[in-house]
Amino acid sequence: MSATPVDTPAQAPTVEPAGAPRGPGLVARVLHRTASGGVLVPVLAVLAALALGSVLILFEGQNPLRVYWAIVEGVTVQNRGYSNTATAATPLILIGLGYAVAYRARVFTIGGEGQYLVGAVGAMALVTADGVRDLPAVVLVPLGIAAALVAGGLWSMLSGWLWVRFGASVVISSLMLTYVADAVLQWAVRTGIRDPDSFVPASRNVGNAELVGVGNTHLGFILALLLPLVVAAVMARHRGGFRISALGLNGEALDANEVPARRIVLWVTLFAGAMAGIAGFVEVAAVTGRLNGSSSVGFGWEAIIVALLGRLNPIGVLAAGLGMAALTIGFESSQRAYDLPSSLVGVITALIVVFVVIGDAVAERLSGQD
Amino acid sequence: MDVLFQFSTVEAAIRLAIPVALVALGALITERSGVLNLGLEGMMLSGALGAYAAAASTGSPWVGLIAGLVVGALCGVVMAGLVVGIKANQVVTGIAFTLLASSATTYLYQLNYSIGGSAPRINRIGMWWLVLVVLVVLAAVWFLFKRTTFGLALGAVGESPVAVDALGYRVDGLRWKATTIGGALAGLGGAALVCGPLGLFIENVTGGRGWVALAIVVFAGWRPIPTVAGALLFGLCDAAQLRLQGTATSVPYEVFLALPYLVTLAALVIRARTSRTPAALGQPYQRGAI
Repeated sequence: MSATPVDTPAQAPTVEPAGAPRGPGLVARVLHRTASGGVLVPVLAVLAALALGSVLILFEGQNPLRVYWAIVEGVTVQNRGYSNTATAATPLILIGLGYAVAYRARVFTIGGEGQYLVGAVGAMALVTADGVRDLPAVVLVPLGIAAALVAGGLWSMLSGWLWVRFGASVVISSLMLTYVADAVLQWAVRTGIRDPDSFVPASRNVGNAELVGVGNTHLGFILALLLPLVVAAVMARHRGGFRISALGLNGEALDANEVPARRIVLWVTLFAGAMAGIAGFVEVAAVTGRLNGSSSVGFGWEAIIVALLGRLNPIGVLAAGLGMAALTIGFESSQRAYDLPSSLVGVITALIVVFVVIGDAVAERLSGQD
Repeated sequence: MDVLFQFSTVEAAIRLAIPVALVALGALITERSGVLNLGLEGMMLSGALGAYAAAASTGSPWVGLIAGLVVGALCGVVMAGLVVGIKANQVVTGIAFTLLASSATTYLYQLNYSIGGSAPRINRIGMWWLVLVVLVVLAAVWFLFKRTTFGLALGAVGESPVAVDALGYRVDGLRWKATTIGGALAGLGGAALVCGPLGLFIENVTGGRGWVALAIVVFAGWRPIPTVAGALLFGLCDAAQLRLQGTATSVPYEVFLALPYLVTLAALVIRARTSRTPAALGQPYQRGAI
């Protein structure tokens, strides 16, 4: 969907829906501010969203300060508050990390939700297959993770390939693939990998591939803690990380140095999908136990917020994922205590993104006027 | 497969296509001006809630339809303020808008209806009236681009904002209008969904149809009549999928669940080779910045 013909996508690695093939374009530049910008905008955005949220709480006839304090207590004081936060943060961090790397290269995939589902389906198909499911956990867990990584990664790389080969917008194709992934899930739990003993459409239980607990959370959280550190190190020290950033900054410079930009596009979409796929398997293996028709719960969408809030920085994603999860978990108990609509936390988190977007645009304008 | 060719299936297809067609025509206008509006799903949802509230309180679904149009236009103004006014990132702003609209409509709905038991059903508009609405909008959009200078300027601003600016048109002004009209049509699409045969609002009632509309516009190559045809194709797949659920067929119904999106992917690949995409789509215009 680019303005230039498809025979030169390598010269036009600006992967936006009909992105700007010549020159970086404002969309890209704003994204780059997001990558390199400080924490001021996100912090102000959170404060602004909480301020607006407190107006809504006042309308409900409650004291916002008490409600917010109950959110803090819901995480710090409540039984299992910390471990629930860790569990809720795991998929957000993993998917958000994949987005962050892709967005740094200006490859705008938004299909995390679908990659998450395909990863989970692929892994479950393998670890619950006849003959395989009796293997010990030491073999099954790595096998599940590997299958999720491959399934999610290839699913995502499809949109990268459609861009490289045909110039089709990654935004739209990754979105379409998300809906196809949901159809795959529906078919899988109804027919493909259905538990024959189950009355409702659902996969078999994860069985031996269950992720063991670490404290009150699970092994997946350790992965979500470690991977951002690894990615941060790679992005800062490794040639590949430098090339990803370079593609985001100026694709033409890469071409001039004979580094194939199209290969980087494929790599980052593969990575984003692999992360989302792992998140899918981890969630099933550690939390839900089996897949069913409503396994799509929107982590892939929330993780976009996490990536942007984390400034496309791996450590930032880790912090943003934990923060979002804490807000969600804390709000659950606060909402029960003060009889608030459950959807209020969604409004507040969505407001955070809206304010980040506005803040970045305003910051861009201000710096442009200097 | 005989079931697919019954008249009732065709009727269901038309019913399912109506809201999508309206939103897609809105997307078409906005995108032709060079603004990519990923907030359409959210605007459709907002329009649906506005329409439901208006229809429930006045008792007239036609008032609901107008309310949906107005709410959608207001959403369009907000979106234009962000992406045209302060030149915020179009992709991120659109996603953020949809996320916000999705939770905000759920919140407002819970606040007003859920707590006091089940929400009231509203009077419904017959399907063929809504078909008429779609045809009128289609004719208007076609006329806009083919026969008016405003439409011509709108299309030009999506291709070459520099040239339009040089001719003395206000680029941002045109884009404000296009985004507002697009939002209004998205809201109308949402309104047609709840005030039509459904007669109800449920949380996230649009279920991704706003995103589908975006895809249909690509599929249709940014042309009005193919856009409506694309919506009809989507409706047909959707109707087939609903029909085949629960029946034992050789083709799993999930194929039809995925079909509209697969067709769109195929169209995306084919369309990417043509040059129908507005050249300046997704790019904010800043005088002297190029």
